[in-house]
Amino acid sequence: MMDESVMKSGSNLESVLRAGHFAVTCECGPPKGADMEHLQQKIELIKGCVDAANVTDNQTAVVRMSSIAASSILVKSGVEPVMQMVTRDRNRIAAQSDIFGAYALGIRNMLCLTGDHQTFGNHPMAKNVFDLDSIQLLDVVRTIRDEGKVNSGDPVEGGIRMFLGAAANPFADPFEFRVIRLGKKIRAGADFVQTQCIYDMDRFREFMKMACDMGLDKQCFILAGLTPLKSAGMAAYMNRNVSGITIPDTIIQRIRGVPKGNQSEEGIKLLLEQIQEVREIPGVAGVHIMAIEWEEKIREITERAGLLPRPQL
Amino acid sequence: MDKKSPQISAEDVLATCSAACPVHTDTREYVQRLSRGDYEGALDILLEVNPFPSVCGRICHHPCESECRRKAIDSAVSLRMLKRFLVENTKEYRIARRKKPAESRAGSVAVIGSGPGGLTAALDLALLGYRVTVYEKDSRLGGMLAHAIPRYRLPVEALAEDIEDILAAGVEVRTNCEVGRDISLDELQKENNAILIAIGLSESHSLPIPGVESQGVFLGTTFLWDIANGMNPELGDRTLVVGGGNVAIDIARAAKRLGPSKVYMACLEKREEMPAWEWEIDEAEQEGIEILNSWGPKSILEENGKVTGIEFKSCVSVFDDQRRFSPSYDESVTTSVEVDSVIIAIGQKADLGFLAKTPVVAERGRLICNRTSMTTSERGVFACGEVMTGPGSAIQAIATGHDAAKVISHFLETGETLELPQRAVTTIGELPAATAALAKRFERVEVSLTDPAERIKDFSPIEPGYSEAEALAESRRCLACATGAVLKSAAHCAGCLTCVRICPFGVARVEKTAVMPAQQCQTCGLCAAECPAAGIALSRFATNGMKDTLGAILSKSDASKIARPFVVSYCCLNETTSRKFLMEQTEEEIRQSGILRVMIPCVSRLSTLDLLSPFELGADKVCVIACSENGCFYPGAEELLAKRVNRARKFLDQIGVGQNNLQLFKTEGSAEEYWPRIWEEFRSASEKTVDRSELAQ
Amino acid sequence: MIIADPKPFGQVKGYVESFEKILIVGCGTCTTVCLAGGEAEAQILASGLRIAFGKDGGSKTILEDCVQRQCDEEFILPILSRVENEKIDAVVTLACGVGLNFLADRLGKVPIFPGLNTTFYGAAVGLGHWAEMCAGCGECITALTGGICPVARCSKHLLNGPCGGSEKGKCEVDPVNVDCVWQLIYDRLKKLGKLEDLQNLLPAKDWRTASDGGVRRTIREHIYSPK
Repeated sequence: MMDESVMKSGSNLESVLRAGHFAVTCECGPPKGADMEHLQQKIELIKGCVDAANVTDNQTAVVRMSSIAASSILVKSGVEPVMQMVTRDRNRIAAQSDIFGAYALGIRNMLCLTGDHQTFGNHPMAKNVFDLDSIQLLDVVRTIRDEGKVNSGDPVEGGIRMFLGAAANPFADPFEFRVIRLGKKIRAGADFVQTQCIYDMDRFREFMKMACDMGLDKQCFILAGLTPLKSAGMAAYMNRNVSGITIPDTIIQRIRGVPKGNQSEEGIKLLLEQIQEVREIPGVAGVHIMAIEWEEKIREITERAGLLPRPQL
Repeated sequence: MDKKSPQISAEDVLATCSAACPVHTDTREYVQRLSRGDYEGALDILLEVNPFPSVCGRICHHPCESECRRKAIDSAVSLRMLKRFLVENTKEYRIARRKKPAESRAGSVAVIGSGPGGLTAALDLALLGYRVTVYEKDSRLGGMLAHAIPRYRLPVEALAEDIEDILAAGVEVRTNCEVGRDISLDELQKENNAILIAIGLSESHSLPIPGVESQGVFLGTTFLWDIANGMNPELGDRTLVVGGGNVAIDIARAAKRLGPSKVYMACLEKREEMPAWEWEIDEAEQEGIEILNSWGPKSILEENGKVTGIEFKSCVSVFDDQRRFSPSYDESVTTSVEVDSVIIAIGQKADLGFLAKTPVVAERGRLICNRTSMTTSERGVFACGEVMTGPGSAIQAIATGHDAAKVISHFLETGETLELPQRAVTTIGELPAATAALAKRFERVEVSLTDPAERIKDFSPIEPGYSEAEALAESRRCLACATGAVLKSAAHCAGCLTCVRICPFGVARVEKTAVMPAQQCQTCGLCAAECPAAGIALSRFATNGMKDTLGAILSKSDASKIARPFVVSYCCLNETTSRKFLMEQTEEEIRQSGILRVMIPCVSRLSTLDLLSPFELGADKVCVIACSENGCFYPGAEELLAKRVNRARKFLDQIGVGQNNLQLFKTEGSAEEYWPRIWEEFRSASEKTVDRSELAQ
Repeated sequence: MIIADPKPFGQVKGYVESFEKILIVGCGTCTTVCLAGGEAEAQILASGLRIAFGKDGGSKTILEDCVQRQCDEEFILPILSRVENEKIDAVVTLACGVGLNFLADRLGKVPIFPGLNTTFYGAAVGLGHWAEMCAGCGECITALTGGICPVARCSKHLLNGPCGGSEKGKCEVDPVNVDCVWQLIYDRLKKLGKLEDLQNLLPAKDWRTASDGGVRRTIREHIYSPK
């Protein structure tokens, strides 16, 4: 796999994956304003623990510092970003424009997403764009990267080399279609994929089996998404309110069964078990740890999971 | 009062009840008027076509009920009982409305016979202004009504009421005057411009069998005539009536009341073939009369000239394959019954002896006459009733009486005879089974006859009439056929399908535009209430009257004298059990009480606009009083109304009137007791919604 | 069918408060069918305004009318005549936005106000219940999706859906009332035996035929003649 000619972007994440290492990524959410200090603090917490960190793009339709700007700050601070771009807020003109800008600022990994509907955020009255969907966005970026053309067909002045990613959700419906959709994303241009956070391990195994049967693991790097549970309350909240996430009763009971002060530790323990489990599933190339507003645990988690030090390539 | 029937023109499609009635009574209209409490107006409808409503209310065989379309749902409306109720409850009005002829005309008519046919013709002619004299051989008027129908079925007073009305129109009468004996036909012809023979079939056929001359053998009509005149025949202990028709039944039941411990009826027909009405047969059997079917009289057994019994031979069939009366017997199968009296009731014939030596021709016991022009062989001499038609019912005779008056008046005016056009009657047809299946069933209000053991003691009436509550309840079972929804114009209809979707009976259809076939429409009014194009009219109900009254009262200059808050109360008419709230309020009453009542047959037909208009016209509050829980005739109507009221309430909040000024109530128990409590609470409640529990105190 | 909803009464009242003679005009086509603006609704609104202004002690004249539809000249001419002859001060229309605009373009100095909020193109999915079916995007791609439109019926108008928010056949934006259209498309293509169509990547839409491309018009060449 370590064939330089296959390298699409030369990014650290890509290199780690192509070298056959079990990759580790996490999330780094920008502030709800221009507070660079807070962002800087988060960056320090995760430096050295991960191969790359996702910078979210107005996640759940709540206005935050733009992911391109925040990603640029990560680049300057020495942590490789995966810039997330949603199609909810920008049309293809703005998207392509931002991609050129991102590349110019040193960003080499991109995750193409549709994005949560604006009704979930703090600006439900905004007009939604969705000029493109996530698959079409992948296709647009891939075309710029591999054919040197923008969507209208005009040639670009200065190409880009971007490692392209997409999200996958093995837990949404219709289940049997999810793997086919993954295939579609790969054909559209996804080089790697991060899944929605996993709690139902059996379902994930089933998904991976279907994906491997279709040979998708050979066409694209699949990273398993995991989220540590801070408390039984958080588990119950996520189960109820976050669409696409179902947490089995057994897990909620497990966390609940432990005294309140120890629940977060139990959550970490569970996460470590999960990391171990996904490492053993064929086709899984890495793990994407979404410790939302709990970035300080990333170091501890990666340490205890035996994932440190990260490969330096 | 005296508003004419809507169903009068010849082009009309008749309701099945009216079509079945020989005089085409506008049954639907009188029942609807009754249901609204307009008993007087209903009587007007009856008297339009039938001068014998009191008689018919007791003894008519009600062909209207046989054709009542309600029977497809549960059972026919009890129309005869409703008619009886009306007559019994409008006696003063009936007298007050008596008309005298407007002007007198040249022409005098002699009517021979005072049965229903003759008297009807006499009345019609008298009201047209002619001089009419009725000749009756007996001492009392009425023909078969007076002499053949027993008093337990038709009390003397009931018949008298109809006859008095007729006489009040100026018809002259000579009783105890037999034409052919006390006065000749020739004399009548000299004194009159026209003669009407309406003598009916007053003689019984006899049986040409041995023993018929014995003592204890009676002829049917004589038997009944004597009882009517107070001369009860001596019957002994065991009586047998030969015959299977209604007259035979009347005779058997009358006989039972005279003492015999055992009364039989024997007839040729099988039970199902008997010409008597089913209910008559049932009542007879209840009274202990034993019916022997499929027997033909062979001989009457006697000893010393007195009846000891009667012998029968088996009757194998009564009708031939062309349905003609042609009995066949098996002589080898016989039976005999021990009785001491035999009454023969196998049919009647006319007593035409008086026509001998007159130019009016009779042949083989039958008057020769033309049924469409009602003429006899002699110019100026006409016939009507059973003497012309053969055996028939009272109402059929009445119909011929009307026809006779028409042809006779034509003759008097022009000297010409008149061929009466045969009116081709179109009816609205049967209620389709699919529609009937969706209608709610409500049991017919039945009255209980007196106990049979009590009945047979004497000739007292056996059937109680309806109470007011019963009559009102029963009248509301009438479907008011073909007075339902009508699309105002095709231009209105957008084909929105709302009517199709909310019709509880699957009646409304859209074929380019909406159509609600009259044959199926149940007149619930839901489609009209919900039509977004305001394009459906209801023939049976409109709110214009209310708007006019309200406008009149509230727009006058002395509006300050009106009791406030002023409430318009839409009330479900179907819940009333008396006329208390059905009588129109006077203006004074409305002002003083502060309540304007609008009675509606099912308040679910109120549109949203109907709920708002009273406020526009100046009312302070509106209440809608619906029927009791599950009492509504129309499935789904209660829910739709509740939603509409809610909408109007929200709208009233937005307008600034406040939703609590419009409220929907359901009746609990009797309307007459419950509604005043609603009005009191609702008028006094200020901001809050009136709670049902408050009304229960 | 164009679907519209009645505006809050207070809003309409506010529009016409300062006028004396007001004409409410209903429409006999779409807004009749969706029970929002037909003759019956015109009567109800007029009645409500009379009651409301009556309470305020005013003496306004509220008139009502209804025409077959308000998007064709021939049908609205009687209204225009009426406005002129009867010296109407203001018109409230219960037509959809189309009729409203059409009338507004022809009313000259007389103001017109909407009585309804026009919302979508929809079909009656139940008694008293309409759901959006078409977005009028001008380039129908439903031949590829079993006749079911993701532009109108997907909350994000994805052409390669579903997104991750599809759960149990419902759209996360309104899981109680809104089906995930991509679930519907999936089920439909399955019934049609054309599931493999979903493997195809539907390219980015050309929005020029939609309202994004500018105000639209259409001409039938075989009958068009410029006025």
